Amino acid sequence: MTRGARLRLLLALPAVALIFVFMVLPITNMVEMSFRTLGTTAPFGDSYTTGHYSRILSDGYYWQVLLRSLVTALLVTLLCLLVSYPIAWHMSKAHGFKAVMLYALIASPLMTGVLVRNFGWMIVTALNGPLNETLLGLGIIERPLRLLFTQGLVVLALVHVFVPFMVLPINNALRNIPPALVEASSSMGANRWQAFRDVILPLSFPGIYPGVILVFVLSIAAYVTPALLGGQMVSYMPTLIVAELNGTFRWPLGSALAIVLAVVTLICVAAFTLLTAKLMEKSRA
Amino acid sequence: MTDQTNTFGNRRVMAPAFGLLIVLLYVFLLAPLVTIVGASFTGGLLMRFPPEGLSLQWYREFFARQDLVDGLLMSLRIGTVTAVVTTAVAIMAGLAGQVISGRWSGWFQIGMTLPLLVPELLTAIGLLFFLYKIELGKSVIGLQIGHILMSFPYAYVSIVAALRQVPVSLEEASASLGASGWQTFRLVILPLVMPGVAMGGIFAFINSFDLYTVSLLLKPLGGNTLPLALFDFLTYEFKPTAAAAATISILLSILGVALVQRLVGLQRAF
Repeated sequence: MTRGARLRLLLALPAVALIFVFMVLPITNMVEMSFRTLGTTAPFGDSYTTGHYSRILSDGYYWQVLLRSLVTALLVTLLCLLVSYPIAWHMSKAHGFKAVMLYALIASPLMTGVLVRNFGWMIVTALNGPLNETLLGLGIIERPLRLLFTQGLVVLALVHVFVPFMVLPINNALRNIPPALVEASSSMGANRWQAFRDVILPLSFPGIYPGVILVFVLSIAAYVTPALLGGQMVSYMPTLIVAELNGTFRWPLGSALAIVLAVVTLICVAAFTLLTAKLMEKSRA
Repeated sequence: MTDQTNTFGNRRVMAPAFGLLIVLLYVFLLAPLVTIVGASFTGGLLMRFPPEGLSLQWYREFFARQDLVDGLLMSLRIGTVTAVVTTAVAIMAGLAGQVISGRWSGWFQIGMTLPLLVPELLTAIGLLFFLYKIELGKSVIGLQIGHILMSFPYAYVSIVAALRQVPVSLEEASASLGASGWQTFRLVILPLVMPGVAMGGIFAFINSFDLYTVSLLLKPLGGNTLPLALFDFLTYEFKPTAAAAATISILLSILGVALVQRLVGLQRAF
């Protein structure tokens, strides 16, 4: 490396400092915080204990909340995939002005805040809101559905928030599939379903994989949606953690809960990566 | 022959069904945003969609509410500082990233986009403790740092994409004609990447404007951003004023996306 290039590397210093000092260091710090004792005058005490972890692991309530968060995130990821694939497919076939409009359609929600998008569902699903009116009008239901502050609405709103994260990578992967390959498979006698299952689906996996990981990791740690739409009765890991940090000021316990959540998330991601390793290899070949 | 008629027949049924599915999915994507904008213009007293009559009364109500207006001003201020700082830091990081090669370059990219890859909640918790320790807890500076950190990857990704479009030969030509590094940057590279820099700034601003979890945990004493103020408002009042506040932030996003489309084209942006 020349002297000029080495000097140019120094330009990265502010960015590296920003991320190291205000993110890497604080998150490692959080591990230390999770072993602190509870404080009486401050949010944390001076000595150390493993008590928070044993308390979390032995208390059925925490397991129940963790399980609820886990199931919710899995459901959100699966539904996101089911919703996003057709959209990505439709997008990948568009060109020119139509493609630009579709990108704008997908990207615009991405550019509005999660809170705003969640709040929209409060109006849509209100007792006399457009969803109930439509379903009543079509004769599908007889009485308006009470959806606000249910776990179903939390799942629906999370799917809505994360669809763009799934659509964009899958769209990219689909665009990279040479049309000749699909034509070849149909000229060799494959019907549309076979061509989809044996050619298109495996080849789009490089887009599905990051989409699934991203949506799962982000939805299991999502705070706003359950806080706004989940109601007071049901806790999810993120709302529980924030309550320990901002409400009861038991920072060490909150940290331990956050670390448990992070470890469980990483285990899930690793399991998914291992389970799909074969599929990934196939798509590269 | 039979096979072909089969596919053909299939297609005749499948295409409209697929079309309907696509339409329903797009309705799903747009429904909450459309209802918010619609409800904000209602002439009635309740948050309803479709609106009952048209009026701007709830926008008047929004601007009469000191807590919401203060939130809007705070969000605009923090977003602007975030956009300026992140683009400056991201340009430098992008230029440095260009001289990193091979395996390290991948790690560098991951490091620079770390705030996007780690859930916001974890970063927010870490920062809450850290700022408390360096005695910046509950301060506007602390909140500003959080927003800069969380928005940096958006600026970085946009700017790196723009830098990649600049041919290396241009830089070499400029240097061989005797320009210093700074002159090459200011006179050759910066004008070429300006649309990407603007795009990065817009994305960073919008991201900062929308952040919730980081703002909640780092909330300064007596200060609220617009999303925090809106959440508090919704907890106690379910009035169309909230729809007006949300519409203002939707309009900002549309403006941002339209600007990006004009500057670089959306397909390249995502």
